[in-house]
Amino acid sequence: MESVFYLFPGFRWQDALDILLNTYILFRMYVLFRGTNVFRGLVAITVLWGGGQAAHSLGLIVTNWAMQGVIAVAALIVIIVFRNEIAGVLQTKNLKSFLWGIPQYQFHTPLDIISQSVRELARKKIGALIVLPLKQGMDSVVQGGTPLEGKLSQQLLKNVFWPGSPMHDGAAIIQGDQIICAGAILPLSKNDDLPSFFGTRHRAAAGLTQSTDALVIVVSEERGEITVFKESSYHRVPDASALKKLLAAHAGDDSSPRRVMKQTVELALVALICLAGVTGLWASFSKGMETLAEHEVPIEFINPDQKMEIVSSSASSIKLLISGARPLIKSTNPEQIEVKLDLSGARVGDNTLDIAAKNILLPPGIRLKKITPPKLSVTLDALVEKELFVQPHWVGSLPDNLVMKQAQPLPEKIWVTGGGLALKGITTVFTEAIPLDQLIASGALSAKLVPDPPSLKFNNHSRVRIQYSIQEKKAAGQAP
Amino acid sequence: MLCFTPSDNIFKKSVLLAGILLLFCSIPAGSEPAKATLIQAVMCESIESYQPVNPSVVFPISQGEVFCFSNFDPVLEKTIIFHKWYKKNKLIFTMRLTLVPPKWSSFSRIQLRNEDKGPWRVEIRSDTDRLLQTLRFSMAD
Repeated sequence: MESVFYLFPGFRWQDALDILLNTYILFRMYVLFRGTNVFRGLVAITVLWGGGQAAHSLGLIVTNWAMQGVIAVAALIVIIVFRNEIAGVLQTKNLKSFLWGIPQYQFHTPLDIISQSVRELARKKIGALIVLPLKQGMDSVVQGGTPLEGKLSQQLLKNVFWPGSPMHDGAAIIQGDQIICAGAILPLSKNDDLPSFFGTRHRAAAGLTQSTDALVIVVSEERGEITVFKESSYHRVPDASALKKLLAAHAGDDSSPRRVMKQTVELALVALICLAGVTGLWASFSKGMETLAEHEVPIEFINPDQKMEIVSSSASSIKLLISGARPLIKSTNPEQIEVKLDLSGARVGDNTLDIAAKNILLPPGIRLKKITPPKLSVTLDALVEKELFVQPHWVGSLPDNLVMKQAQPLPEKIWVTGGGLALKGITTVFTEAIPLDQLIASGALSAKLVPDPPSLKFNNHSRVRIQYSIQEKKAAGQAP
Repeated sequence: MLCFTPSDNIFKKSVLLAGILLLFCSIPAGSEPAKATLIQAVMCESIESYQPVNPSVVFPISQGEVFCFSNFDPVLEKTIIFHKWYKKNKLIFTMRLTLVPPKWSSFSRIQLRNEDKGPWRVEIRSDTDRLLQTLRFSMAD
């Protein structure tokens, strides 16, 4: 179990969603395209891609380049050549069956009705052309026709091909248990190898089966023969039971428990293969695209003693070397990383704090490689109250003949609150600069106190009154 | 630094001795007895005839120097005092001065430079670092 975590450290729920989503897409592609030429084309492209990756890992530059070109061309060919199959899958009218259902194609087609009807038509030498599509769409090859969407029955089918019917010359298309269209015009085959006694109906049947996976039943009007066309080949059918066997083989009409079980096992196996494939792909991306990045992240101090303040810190931010998948690293910014240092055990004075992985909160999927610096010096100070003397800060100059004999602040002392260490060598708080230039006689003025250090708080007074005494200066040599 | 001794007087000496004895008896048990009594301390522009000239609390830089004058009377025994000069709350320098009985005046001084502008103070302390007096002043333009 530990090895799994070692292989996928920082596995996120987003990664699980990523794998499951793509597994389902892959699985649905298999379900929708299985048995088609498109699927075979996709398998071939996947094999080419695997070959290209192998060539890339072996350093075969030209081979890898050629593989990429072949893959691009193959993808184009698959889209162009098998466009009908793709269209048949994508042009579904039922979104639920597209996203969830297992296509049953002709599973629910009443084969007995078809075989009996065809037998009756052949017996009466009534010409008929019946199309049973499988997976590929036929919109691009079939033209015209009258939509019927009528429930399949012997009467309806015989009526469609009754010589007096306006739709008897075209083809009837049967989907499931419905005749969806009648009187449709099929493309004629240009194959010269067809028997000479084949008429237009036979050529139309051959033309359709050359370009689609449909099965076409032709009843000859002249000979009363039944011919089944599928995948560019044709079979003469002697009786109704033989026809029914062919139809069952075409429609996959086997709803026995054994077949259902076989299909369930097949789909479960495919689902597992898809899951393993996508997981492997994810692992190769996440491990193969791993990269490093360095971020400078500010430090957040937590749980400080409310009676203490941080006087200084050897650093306000630290550098973190992180690693992870390239897309994750690219999308990570310093705001997503938190560095929290616990001050609950810190004391007044200098403290050395170790910065470890437990102090750092990284986004999922990102791993920590290095912390710079690994230690931090933090100086804490306890808040204390202290009584300080007040001293005016005079600037400028008095007239030359005057001298300030005395300056008395009121109050003389004030109480301040600040860090004990910061206040240790401080006995005096000073006023703002008071200009002397306008002072020519004794008097009083008000001055604001300046907190130094700035963290200092004045408990009661932020201003003081200064009473000053100015006198004439005695000349040198004059008695005091 | 400049030190000087005024002339002695037998009568004054007797009175001074009595005063010192009285002072000594008044000191509570456990406190150290004062070896000298500070009777005057001022910041001044200069000193002439052992007296401070133009005591002030603001001195222009152009004046060139500032004096801290302290006068002790009596001085019971030879001792030392300190003049500690602070700019704002930072100790700039300390001057060690010797006091000699029976009384003594002493001073320290500082040469003024443009960088010295700002609030200053001088703490006069005994040999046991007891604060005797603080003189506060500013150096201005």
